[in-house]
Amino acid sequence: MSIQSFLLMRHELMLIIIALIVLIAEIFTPDHKKGIITPLAIILFSISLIVGFLPAIEGNLFGGMYNTSSLIVLMKNILNIGVFIILLQSNKWINLLDNRIKISEFYILLFITLTGMFYMISSGDFLMFYIGLETATIPIAALVAFDRYNNKSAEGGIKLILSSALSSGILLFGISLIFGTTGSIYFKDVVGMVSANDSMMILGFIFFISGISFKISLVPFHLWAADVYEGAPVSITSYLSVISKGAAVFIFMIVLYSVFNSISDIWKNLIYVIAIATITIGNLFALRQDNFKRYLAFSSIAQAGFILLGLISGTELGMASVVYYVLVYVFSNLAAFGVVSIISFQTGKENISDYNGLYKTNPKLSLALTLSLFSLAGIPPVAGFFGKFFLFTAAAEKGYYILVLIALLNTIISLYYYLMPIKAMFINKSDNPIQTFKTDITSKIALAICLVGMVLVGFSSTFFETILKYCFGI
Amino acid sequence: MNSEGLILFFLLGLTLVGFAIVFSYFIPRKSENLQKYETYECGIPTYGLSWIQFNVGYYLFAIMFLIFDVEAVFLFPWAVVMKELKMVAFIEILIFFVILGLGLMYAWKKQALKWE
Repeated sequence: MSIQSFLLMRHELMLIIIALIVLIAEIFTPDHKKGIITPLAIILFSISLIVGFLPAIEGNLFGGMYNTSSLIVLMKNILNIGVFIILLQSNKWINLLDNRIKISEFYILLFITLTGMFYMISSGDFLMFYIGLETATIPIAALVAFDRYNNKSAEGGIKLILSSALSSGILLFGISLIFGTTGSIYFKDVVGMVSANDSMMILGFIFFISGISFKISLVPFHLWAADVYEGAPVSITSYLSVISKGAAVFIFMIVLYSVFNSISDIWKNLIYVIAIATITIGNLFALRQDNFKRYLAFSSIAQAGFILLGLISGTELGMASVVYYVLVYVFSNLAAFGVVSIISFQTGKENISDYNGLYKTNPKLSLALTLSLFSLAGIPPVAGFFGKFFLFTAAAEKGYYILVLIALLNTIISLYYYLMPIKAMFINKSDNPIQTFKTDITSKIALAICLVGMVLVGFSSTFFETILKYCFGI
Repeated sequence: MNSEGLILFFLLGLTLVGFAIVFSYFIPRKSENLQKYETYECGIPTYGLSWIQFNVGYYLFAIMFLIFDVEAVFLFPWAVVMKELKMVAFIEILIFFVILGLGLMYAWKKQALKWE
C-alpha cells in the first residue's frame, strides 16, 4: 500500500487533520485568545471543502473495507457543504461568553462525527460501517448536551445516547445474524450469499434496517427525534436533522442497492409500509407543534418518508432523485434552521406564535424563511418542488401509484403546516412583535448560500444530470 | 434453510438463557442473611443512599485510565504484525501515539489530572 492510495481517503484524512490542528490550537492558545479558533476552523474546513471537489480517483483500501467512487465523493461533498453552512451559522452562537471555554470542543466533535459519517458512507464491510456509525453517533450526543446548564439539552443528550445505544444493539445483532448465515462481513462477499429463502438472513436484515431507521428517524423508530431536536442547541439540531440524516440515507441506499439487491422484493415491501407510516405520522404530528424546533423535527421525519419514495423504485432515476433531494433538503432545511437560529440567538424566542408580525419588523428574514418553507413544502419556484417531483416520478415509474397518491395527499396536508408560520409572519397581528435587529454577517452569508442554492439547484438542470451520471440502479 | 431454523434458533436462545437462570437458582447452597440482599455485597454493611453527588474527578481519572488501558490492548496486535509490516507499522503506531499524546496534553491543559 503506497502513500498515494491514501489519497482515496482525502475527505476523512483532511477532517482528521483539521480536528487535530484545532486540538493543538486549543492546547497552545491562552484562554483570552480563544477567539482565533473559530476563524481557524472555518478557514481550514473551507480548504477541505474545496479539496473535496477536486477530481477524484476511484478504488478501495484495506482489502475492500473502504471504497470510494464518484457517487460517494459527491455524497461527501454534499454533506461538506451542509457542514460549512452550519459552521457559518453557529459562528456567533459559539463565541458567546457561556460557550467560550468550549469553542474548540464544538469544532473537534463536529469534525469527528463528520469523519465517522464519511467512513460509514465509504464502508465496504459491516465492521467499518459499524465503527463509522458509532464514531458519528457518540460525539453528537455530547454536542446535543452542549448547553450543560440547560436541563432540556442534558435531557436530549441522555435520550439520544440511550436510544442510539439501543439501536446499535439491534443493528449489531442484525449484523451478527448476517455474518452467521453468510460467513463474511464484507459487502462484496455478502452480495452473493443473500437469498430470500434464508429466514435467518432475512431476520438479520430486518434488524439491520431497524438500526439504520433509528438514525434516519423513520416512523416506528422516530420517538427520540422531537425531544432531542428540541433540547439541542439550534446548530446541533440542524446538524442532526440534515447532515446526520443525509449520511444515514446515503448509506441506507448504498447498502440496499449494492448488497441486498437480490432480496429487493422483501425490502420494497418493508419500505412501502415504513414510507406511508413515516410520511403520515410525521405530518400529523407536525400539525400541532408550536415550538419551531419540534415542528422542524416532525417536518424532517416526514421529509425522510418522502425520500423513501425514491429509494423504493430501485432504479437509477430513483437513486439520483434521492441524492438530489438530499442536496435540496440540505439547502432548504438549513435556511429554515438558519432563520430560527438567528431569531433564537437574538431574542431567545423559539415558538411559532412568537413569529407573529415578523414581516413588519424583519422583512428579509421572514422572506428567507418563507422561501425555505416553500421549498420544504414543494411549491414550484424553488428546488423543493423539483426534488419531490423526481422522487414521485421515480416511484410512479415502477408502478407504485397508491404510494404516490398517499404521498401527494400528505404533501397537501403538509402545505397547511408549512404555511402556518408564513401566515403568522405576514398576516397575524402582534402587540409584542420581535424587535428589528441586525443579523451578523456570517449568518447572512450562510443564509445567502442556502437561498442561492435553493433557487439554483432547482432551475439549473446540470445538478440533476451530474448526479444521474454517477448513479446506478439494481 | 427455511423458518424451521429460525424457530430452532429462538428456542435454543430461550433454553440457554432459561437453563442458566434455573440452574443457578437450584445449584448453590442457600445462606440466608440480610447482607446477602445488598446490591453491592462487600461484607461491610452499607450506609446512606447511592444517589449522592460525588467528585467528578473519579470519573475523569477512570476515563484517563481507560484510554491508556485500551491503548495497551491495541499494542498487542501491532506487536504481532510488526515483523511483517516493518516501517509502515512503526509509523502508524507513532501516529497513534501522537494523537493519544495530544489527548493527554488536552486533559492536562483542562486540569483533569489535578485532584481538587
